[in-house]
Amino acid sequence: MSHQPIYLDYNSTTPVDERVLEVMFPFFKEKFGNASSVYHTFGWDAEEAVDRARDQVANVIGAKSKEVIFTSGATEAINLALQGTFEANKGDKNHIITCETEHKAVLDTCDQLEKRGAKITYLRVNTDGIIDIDEFRACITNKTLLASFMYANNETGIMQPIQKIGEVCEEKGILFFSDATQAVGKIPCNLNELNTDMVAFSSHKMYGPKGVGALYIRRPSSIQPQIFGGGHEKGMRSGTLNVPGIVGFGQACELACELMEKDRERLQSLRDWLEKELLQLGSVNINGAKSERLPHVSNVSFEDVEGSKLIRALKGIAVSQGSACNSSVIEPSHVLKAMGLSHQLAYSSIRISLGRFTSEVEARKAVQIIRGAVEQLRMQLQ
Amino acid sequence: MREIDVIIDSYETAKSADVPCVLATVVHVEGSSYRRAGARMLIDENGLMTGAISGGCLEGDALRKALHALHKSKNKLVTYDTSDEEDAVIGAQLGCNGVIQVLFEPIDFKYEENPIELLKQANREKKLMIIGTFFHLEKSKDQIGTTFLIDEDLQIHGKELEPKLNNQLTADCKSAFEDNASLFREYAVDQERHYVFLEVFSRPTMLVLVGAGNDAQMLAQMAEVLGWDIVVTDGRPTHASSDRFASSCQVVVAKPEEVLHQIEVTNRTAFVLMTHNYAYDLSVLKALLNKSEIPYIGILGPKKKYQRMLDDLANEGIELNEDQLAKIHAPVGLEIGAETPAEIGLSILSEIQSVLAGTKGGKLKEKEGPIHLKKNNEFKRIIIE
Repeated sequence: MSHQPIYLDYNSTTPVDERVLEVMFPFFKEKFGNASSVYHTFGWDAEEAVDRARDQVANVIGAKSKEVIFTSGATEAINLALQGTFEANKGDKNHIITCETEHKAVLDTCDQLEKRGAKITYLRVNTDGIIDIDEFRACITNKTLLASFMYANNETGIMQPIQKIGEVCEEKGILFFSDATQAVGKIPCNLNELNTDMVAFSSHKMYGPKGVGALYIRRPSSIQPQIFGGGHEKGMRSGTLNVPGIVGFGQACELACELMEKDRERLQSLRDWLEKELLQLGSVNINGAKSERLPHVSNVSFEDVEGSKLIRALKGIAVSQGSACNSSVIEPSHVLKAMGLSHQLAYSSIRISLGRFTSEVEARKAVQIIRGAVEQLRMQLQ
Repeated sequence: MREIDVIIDSYETAKSADVPCVLATVVHVEGSSYRRAGARMLIDENGLMTGAISGGCLEGDALRKALHALHKSKNKLVTYDTSDEEDAVIGAQLGCNGVIQVLFEPIDFKYEENPIELLKQANREKKLMIIGTFFHLEKSKDQIGTTFLIDEDLQIHGKELEPKLNNQLTADCKSAFEDNASLFREYAVDQERHYVFLEVFSRPTMLVLVGAGNDAQMLAQMAEVLGWDIVVTDGRPTHASSDRFASSCQVVVAKPEEVLHQIEVTNRTAFVLMTHNYAYDLSVLKALLNKSEIPYIGILGPKKKYQRMLDDLANEGIELNEDQLAKIHAPVGLEIGAETPAEIGLSILSEIQSVLAGTKGGKLKEKEGPIHLKKNNEFKRIIIE
């Protein structure tokens, strides 16, 4: 019988919480209606469930329900935000400012837009993973349409100064989009207090099902829809709604509101303990340690270790090396490289992300496994 | 007919034909909307709608929500958010800019204190009543609905209140009666929250026309459209005849000093003296002066006539105090250039409406701030230990 490794990759995805799963079931079977069927109770039941989920999702970000558009996930939400804004303002403004450490969903979309005539500025980050606000301000021209900065980085958990960025955007009159996929549901994200115009996030990062996400849109008129056919979601995103997924997403958001504080405190102390233990190995760096970070994420570099062997030596735990989304190609993480890490050190870094179901026992075991592996690999190098 | 009477009529029809129906009530509005809290609409199973909860923008969706509530036999709260709407989805056609909470209550005909039976009772009562509707802004919670009435003596009719809420709720009703303004409360009891709309159910306006001439005929017709209760009184049986007035008017032939004997006066009773008979008008005025609850007395005729009345009263040793002078409107009506009986009727009714509503009767375009006065519109949160 093979043992499942200890799952420490919650930034990649999370298991669906039982309490979420439970509320989803009826919407596969007896309540299978289409939320857009207006003539019968099957449709009304589905519509009611979607309305409720929309309230729950809005609540977790402190938004109004009508500002939430359901999508198939964060990537689609990001595409809608970036492409939609670009298309709606075509010919007027075409400059987008973002940064080097963004998720591929943002970077690849920006690449596409560049081919269609957008000018993209990629801000650098300092060794702590943070952009320079003055540099950002200096980049803004009268052609600048939009700024896109992630709330918290998926690889390091480092949080950009969202509040300050928002203030600059407001002052300069440009739109502000934030990919908050890793932050929503994990730390309080009250959009009322931020000057964000659009925010993307996803269900499966917060113990909800995969295949559902949301885009918060403050001013719908600033976006052109990207998917047509039926006018669902106020015409912003056509296509039959994934009712079970949306219901699960809603429940996941409600649970997140309820458990956030407790989870956050517990995971932060577990993460801090874990880092302290790993630092004892010596020649270990915690990337972004000086920055404000998500409480459950740790990105650790081990010096004097051969990167290609590291992840295979960590068989007992499930962690990721670099960003998961581009790990089909073995390349050092663009995030860590942007923070100034050498190729070699970036290779020998792992991302540990803890979650709601990570136990102390598991954390302790993980430390043992990592210490054992690193010590062994270091011996091999000598 | 008043909207509420039409709704009750429609309910009676549905009940006798056993057609299930749902009552939709606007239970709170934040911001501006076409209709305010207390607007109601009855929707029957066949989609027949009586009354209105908006200027027409919400009714289509409301029909579906009502039918859904009916299907589930469960109250349902729906939020219509038309705030900051740039793109016309709902509401924007009228420039509504508010968050409107609408409660849908399927009606159980067999239950003697169902929401509409309570409304009927409130509508029937001469006393001022408060109608209480519990709901919960968290939609997944139980939406209790319209369950009780409280009269001016703070007697509760309908479903008994939760003992813990009783005292606070009664106290709040008392202050609503004193202010004559509906209010909203959020009671926090233990871990539970209760949202309640305490609606001061206004009595119908009663218009007493003293004088049954042709101009009174026109005025009565117009007031009927407003749904006001109408009493016409005159000393001349030839004029004060039920043949000359709609069947809903109460017609009284009386000597001036007896006019008041047959009328139950409240703070919603407006009098217009228009007999074209100086002595009759003067004697009625004398009698009305003793009734402090009367909010409005209009006197048809020029200023001179009114001055003469004041002089004659003074000669009898009757000096009018400030309150009495304030509620006498002579010459009667707003200045709108009225000439024909219908125009004069419009002028008089507009003035009565504005006086009873406590407004100035001016042009809305010259008014600063919102159209509707938003008194006590917030949910006041009260923690009950």
